[in-house]
Amino acid sequence: MIATWFLVTLRTEARRVTAERGGLVVAVVFYVVVVAVLAGLWRVAAATNGGTIAGYSAVALTWYIATSEAAVVALNIRMIDDIGRAIGSGAVAVELLRPVPVLALRVAAELGRSLPRLAACVGTGVVVATVSGGAPPRPATLALAGPSLVLAVACNIVAQHAFAAIAFWIRDAGSAWFLYQKLVFIIGGMLIPLEALPGWLHALANALPFRAMAYAPARLASGHFEPRLLVEQAAWLGVLLVAAGAVFRAGERRLQVVGG
Amino acid sequence: MRGLLATMGNAFAEARANRAALGSQMAVMVLNDVVWVVFWVLFFRRVGSVGGWDARRILLLLAVLTTAGGITLGLLANARRIGTMAVEGELDAVLTLPVAPLPYLLLRRVEPTNLGDLLFGVCLFVLSGRPTLGRTAVFVGVVLASATLITGFLVLTGSLAFFLGRSEGGDLGFHAIVLLGSYPVDVFAGVAKVLLYSVVPAAFVSTVPATLIDSFDAGRAAALAAVAGAFGLAGWATFTAGLRRYTSGSLWTRA
Repeated sequence: MIATWFLVTLRTEARRVTAERGGLVVAVVFYVVVVAVLAGLWRVAAATNGGTIAGYSAVALTWYIATSEAAVVALNIRMIDDIGRAIGSGAVAVELLRPVPVLALRVAAELGRSLPRLAACVGTGVVVATVSGGAPPRPATLALAGPSLVLAVACNIVAQHAFAAIAFWIRDAGSAWFLYQKLVFIIGGMLIPLEALPGWLHALANALPFRAMAYAPARLASGHFEPRLLVEQAAWLGVLLVAAGAVFRAGERRLQVVGG
Repeated sequence: MRGLLATMGNAFAEARANRAALGSQMAVMVLNDVVWVVFWVLFFRRVGSVGGWDARRILLLLAVLTTAGGITLGLLANARRIGTMAVEGELDAVLTLPVAPLPYLLLRRVEPTNLGDLLFGVCLFVLSGRPTLGRTAVFVGVVLASATLITGFLVLTGSLAFFLGRSEGGDLGFHAIVLLGSYPVDVFAGVAKVLLYSVVPAAFVSTVPATLIDSFDAGRAAALAAVAGAFGLAGWATFTAGLRRYTSGSLWTRA
């Protein structure tokens, strides 16, 4: 039954986002601007450094940024804040009445909202990267980057729920999203390939789940044939699901709602 | 004028009412800005310098951007909500007051989170901007011009909602000016560079001001002042024209 609810919720939210063309267009335009600026910066940097940075050519860097940005821009940027508000205000109590776990329903809804945006960004990103940087360095790796992007989005959504569940205890997760977002930006590899980080920070990033949310698909799209990244993402998704489920179950037990 | 000053006083009193929240929200934004500093330091540590920009200059650019952004988004917080308020019919209460609507709206709300930007920008300039009397005077001048420009641009793009019936243009304008303003325009070329000096004037928000602090040039300063004034006036004119098309949402809000 959970699987049916999950799929129906996912499909409903995906249709809703697709119907709201304005929001989709804004997300894509924003994505194009970010990719144009950031990839442009990295290309200039590569050109002034003998053509490569940390083993990435200008073309590879363009595809890296186009992919890492797609994985992040596809999501609701303030998801943690929204979840925190629902928990803090007690609105989540209504969801507890349904015969499926709140976490499963919320993850399905967010995944449904994110996938159409991801598809739009990826379609646009391929064009932008090809026009501004050049053809993909190794087209075969794009076949791995596709599923990796979906896993990246799923990992990110589940992790944000685990983070936001702090609101069960402190009633506000408003600030947490800023911090979480910055972790994905730097040690998740969204702004900068992890290989370009100093050794100690690279080692730290390798030990944390954030690299599954941006670095993994970007590394694949930039021409590196490393299927183990998909396995790593799937493993992190499992760990994050267990963690988020445990935190939500513990939080739901202590939820107190006054009035309605 | 007295009414506007009282409005501003109320906005500050509201923000101060919850001191713990004010402090924590400002601290979070400071931390957010520190991450950008970390990114740029890591970037330039790896690549040396790009287009004449190095870590020191980029920190100066960030100091200008965060201070000016803090003024607009912190002290004139409604600047980024004009479009939403126009579309959702939230301006009814404002229109009944005996004050000019736009200044009232801009001064009505203080956003504690972005006051963290303001604090961070000033501290960053003091710590990394090699402040002398002359450089500090230029910093203050260019920051005010940059804040005027950002405010005018946000009001202009937000007010387009009066004509288009949708507020996404304002959101996009906000993201575009903040995002593009955080990169040195000199690394871009061709059409992109022209756009950043005109349609989305991000170059005048941070790159030109930061360059003026390092090497003051009267002509460039005049250009900055002219562009800031032009966008300020354009924002005002578009908002005023848009108000004639405003449709009430029968909502009585405090804006």
